[in-house]
Amino acid sequence: MKQRTAWQVQKSVVYALFLREVSVRFSAGRLGYFWVIFEPLMQIFIFVLVKMLLFGTKSPLDYSVFITIGFVAFNLFRHILDRSMSAFEGNKGLYAYKQVKPIDGLIARILVEILITMIIATIFVAMGFYLDRDMNVENIGMVILGFLWLIVFSFGIGLFISVIGIFFNSFLKVVRLVLSPLMFVSAIFYSMQNMPQALQQLLYYNPLAHFIEMIHDNYFFVLNDSFIDYEYMLIWTIMPLYIGLWLYRKLEKGIISV
Amino acid sequence: MIELQNVTKYFRTTKGKKYILKDVSFSIPSDVNVGILGKNGAGKSTLMKMLGQIEFPSHGKIISDKTFSWVMGVGGGFQNNMTGRANVKFVCRIYGKSKEEINRAIEFVKEFSELEDYFEMPIRTYSSGMKSRLTFGLSLAFDFDYLLIDETLSVGDARFRKKSKEALMKKIESCSVLLVSHDMGTLRDICDVGIVSNNAQLHFFDDINDAIKMYETINKG
Repeated sequence: MKQRTAWQVQKSVVYALFLREVSVRFSAGRLGYFWVIFEPLMQIFIFVLVKMLLFGTKSPLDYSVFITIGFVAFNLFRHILDRSMSAFEGNKGLYAYKQVKPIDGLIARILVEILITMIIATIFVAMGFYLDRDMNVENIGMVILGFLWLIVFSFGIGLFISVIGIFFNSFLKVVRLVLSPLMFVSAIFYSMQNMPQALQQLLYYNPLAHFIEMIHDNYFFVLNDSFIDYEYMLIWTIMPLYIGLWLYRKLEKGIISV
Repeated sequence: MIELQNVTKYFRTTKGKKYILKDVSFSIPSDVNVGILGKNGAGKSTLMKMLGQIEFPSHGKIISDKTFSWVMGVGGGFQNNMTGRANVKFVCRIYGKSKEEINRAIEFVKEFSELEDYFEMPIRTYSSGMKSRLTFGLSLAFDFDYLLIDETLSVGDARFRKKSKEALMKKIESCSVLLVSHDMGTLRDICDVGIVSNNAQLHFFDDINDAIKMYETINKG
């Protein structure tokens, strides 16, 4: 058998797992493609509609775009976390092959989420132009950077939670509980600078709010980035990733043969 | 050659450590077929998994420059919601096979395993015999130095068993096999040397017949 480098092996494993995840995700029940794409579309439509009906449409800010971006970013984070949490357990049968490592399954799942997000984002951009929404971006480079950074951040958090969760199952339950109100405190359908000071100080501690602010503020000319603390975001990116990877290295064998 | 250096393996249970292997050292020479015997729960499967590098010694090392197949056991190694074909593709991909090689492997496995329509059905619809046929057929599509076979040859009907055995005999002209089995006839036919697993120790025999003798003594005792 031909010898391959560790990198080649891992690349082929992640690729194989990616194709597997895609086929499983997109073929779940009838109209698999439809649901993967249209469920988030529907969710966002409903929120935009509610916001419009409740608060009207008169504002320098295009709220339909604002909310859409917020939800796309939030869903990316949320889905990466959800899919990570079940990744180690979900690919258990495949650890029978020694080249399949638990983290490969996690990476493959994150890649699938990125793919789905890209498809959804493309559809929204096309719709935005078609419906003549505010498609004038203040700083597209920073918006893209915001998304990329968000992916790394989500990966770190997801990995950290998954590693702990494999040995303490109740930890995942606690995390799910904490995550459930997250949608309302992450600056998805409001901007931090319009919030009262007291609330701002409280929401400041939610790192995800900073990421979504970063993306929002760099998209819209009328918003400024005074709320965002890049240092705080960096700490929340590096620490979980570092601890997660360190723990994973220690516990990888245990995860395989648990 | 496969070398075990002071290998200890235990599992933690609520009643403390349960030892599967306690400080075992020996080496298995190259190019021989190895039969592994022992009572149920003696740790034969754990030994196989350690050779296949999906279980790891608690202490000590296993050293070898050979390539090992995955452990072919009853069930396991398949993703239940994927079809037989998708699983074959998956395994080919993780071993870095090219598109043409994958297509050839699919044709071969489909033909050999005789799964017919089941080949296009999810694994969860398979019987354990069908899974074994698939995993064994799949392993024949690769070139390993060692095949790790855990009882798989003893499933399926008599005709398929015979066919598997013949295929294996042909395959082991170019590779070696580590075989766990309770069927002494199969062990005698295929294996040259034997390992008996008993009381957390492994006993190596140059002749499979001696290993079988010891195994029979243990079983009587």
